[in-house]
Amino acid sequence: MGSLALSAIRKSFGAVDVLKGVDLDVAAGEFVVFVGPSGCGKSTLLRIIAGLDEQSAGDVRIDGRLMNGVPPARRGIAMVFQSYALYPHLTVAKNMSLALSQEGVAAADIRRRVETASALLRLDALLDRRPAELSGGQRQRVAIGRAIVRQPSLFLFDEPLSNLDAALRVGTRIEIAKLHRQLGATMVYVTHDQVEAMTLADRIVVMHGGVVEQVGRPLELYARPANLFVAGFIGSPTMNFIGGDAAARASAATIGVRPEHLVVAREGAWTGAVSHAERLGADTMLYVDVPNVDVLGAGMLTTRILGDIDYDVGDRVGLTPQEGKVYRFDGGGNSIAA
Amino acid sequence: MDQIDKLAADVPLLPAATRDAAPARTRRWHIAVFLAPALLVYTALMIVPLADTLRLSLFRSVEHAPVFVGLDNFRVLLTDPRWSLHFWAAFRHNLYFFAFHILLQNPVGIALAALLSLPRLRGQAFYRTAFFLPTMLSFVIVGFTWKLILSPLWGVAPALLGSVGLRGWFHPWLGQEATALTTLALISVWQYVGIPMMLIYAAMLAIPGELIEAAELDGITGFAQFRKIKLPLIWPTVGICSILTFVGNFNAFDLIYTINGANAGPNFATDLLGTFLFRTFFGNQLQLGDPNMGATIATMMFLIILAGVAAYLFGIQTRMRRYAL
Repeated sequence: MGSLALSAIRKSFGAVDVLKGVDLDVAAGEFVVFVGPSGCGKSTLLRIIAGLDEQSAGDVRIDGRLMNGVPPARRGIAMVFQSYALYPHLTVAKNMSLALSQEGVAAADIRRRVETASALLRLDALLDRRPAELSGGQRQRVAIGRAIVRQPSLFLFDEPLSNLDAALRVGTRIEIAKLHRQLGATMVYVTHDQVEAMTLADRIVVMHGGVVEQVGRPLELYARPANLFVAGFIGSPTMNFIGGDAAARASAATIGVRPEHLVVAREGAWTGAVSHAERLGADTMLYVDVPNVDVLGAGMLTTRILGDIDYDVGDRVGLTPQEGKVYRFDGGGNSIAA
Repeated sequence: MDQIDKLAADVPLLPAATRDAAPARTRRWHIAVFLAPALLVYTALMIVPLADTLRLSLFRSVEHAPVFVGLDNFRVLLTDPRWSLHFWAAFRHNLYFFAFHILLQNPVGIALAALLSLPRLRGQAFYRTAFFLPTMLSFVIVGFTWKLILSPLWGVAPALLGSVGLRGWFHPWLGQEATALTTLALISVWQYVGIPMMLIYAAMLAIPGELIEAAELDGITGFAQFRKIKLPLIWPTVGICSILTFVGNFNAFDLIYTINGANAGPNFATDLLGTFLFRTFFGNQLQLGDPNMGATIATMMFLIILAGVAAYLFGIQTRMRRYAL
């Protein structure tokens, strides 16, 4: 129940190609996250799956049934919007039951389904309130509840946590993960936040410029990025990319080292002066100027060390990549297998 | 120090309380200063004439001298057949005129707004302008144009109906007692339907796109979507339109005057409180002007509108909820 298959999906708005041929298979019960920078086409893809936008070319199949041209309500899906999109004039209970009564579901059945969902999402005390009387987190739970009561085969989430504050975001993230385990439903989730992607997803789809850059399990993307874009997008702080002689010695056009894989010592493969230090307690980020290394982008190497290490701006440090933690990329930006 | 202590002992208030009171008084002054210009203009143009009208309605001119008669003018207006027949007829006509607007102008306005806000409609700007255009025209032009169109002598309506073989359907609608008021109401609706249309159209545009998309996903589409999602969200605007229509209708005068004259013919069939007031106050043909009875009618109109608006504000507005979108 709830498999999704996309084949050769294209979407153009006038002369602008937003999606340039996307193929993807999502198995039933899987939690898939589309992640990418703004404008990469992830939201458009979700809207095409939902039927809110029509693809210019390609096929959408849900549970094996071709969905091209099928109206959203008959695709067996439910969607949670970034703005929650609750009906402001209806109570929480009515918000959740409106779709069911429109479908002609029996009143007793509607009541049972609303009760189940509200118990699951702790909405019991709020059922008679209107959206304006709820907090942001509560509204988000109602929006999820509205999706659950429809018992869809496929859940779609469009950046559902973007409007919440940081603390609430973590809590709701955990709740969505729990919900996925409890319901066992297929979920497709769009976000630009890689932490949400890494923590929630069974599989992540990294998108960039209308194409899928890589699909894989979270740690697979971290350990074996397919190309420069995925390597740079997954992981925080961003991977250091180094060109020039250092890369040539490894017989690559570019090499990449994650900040957490740089060992800091008095001497090292690359030496330079600390130009900025960020001390977070649990770990410390050092930004090191390395004049005779060809660092792409910022021109500084970033390193992340565990604990509060007392380095000052101007201190000279040596940086050495850990054994086997150097990523190599060819001239086209693709990974070279180790 | 001693002196201060002594002062403090003399004043029963706590020193802290006096300190608090001082800035509050300054604040009140600057509120008055900011309100003054609007208050002055409003007083000069609205409150003084209104008060003077109320005063005038309590007097009667006896041998060119005003005599205070209390509420006797109202008794005459409401019970003396020479006045009351006209007054109650005009009041009935006004109620009919208003009911006609509410039952036709609002639904048509809502329907036009709903059609205009369809995302796939082409030529939106053209329709919007076309429907709103009559509202911007002078009532003199509108009245005269419709008089020309509907004239049985040189109007185009008989010929137009004749061209589709319905010449027999034509009647001099404006000249027959049975149809004159309805015809005028239709003309007025035609002229002013643009106002509810625009207000409701704006209210519909304010409904967020994601809300409509959520409804689409819930299977609430087409007319059900309009009825269950959009209509509840535009009710407050419909309420505003209704009260504007109410005030406009009970003050109506211009259209009747331009089309059927101050006598509101035929045989007073289109007489509204506005035309009745005009004839009474300023006089018309053989009728002499009577400012005191005119003021009495004006006061009654004021009270009717006041009652209507108050009923709306306290009876309907308080129960209607405006939802944060």
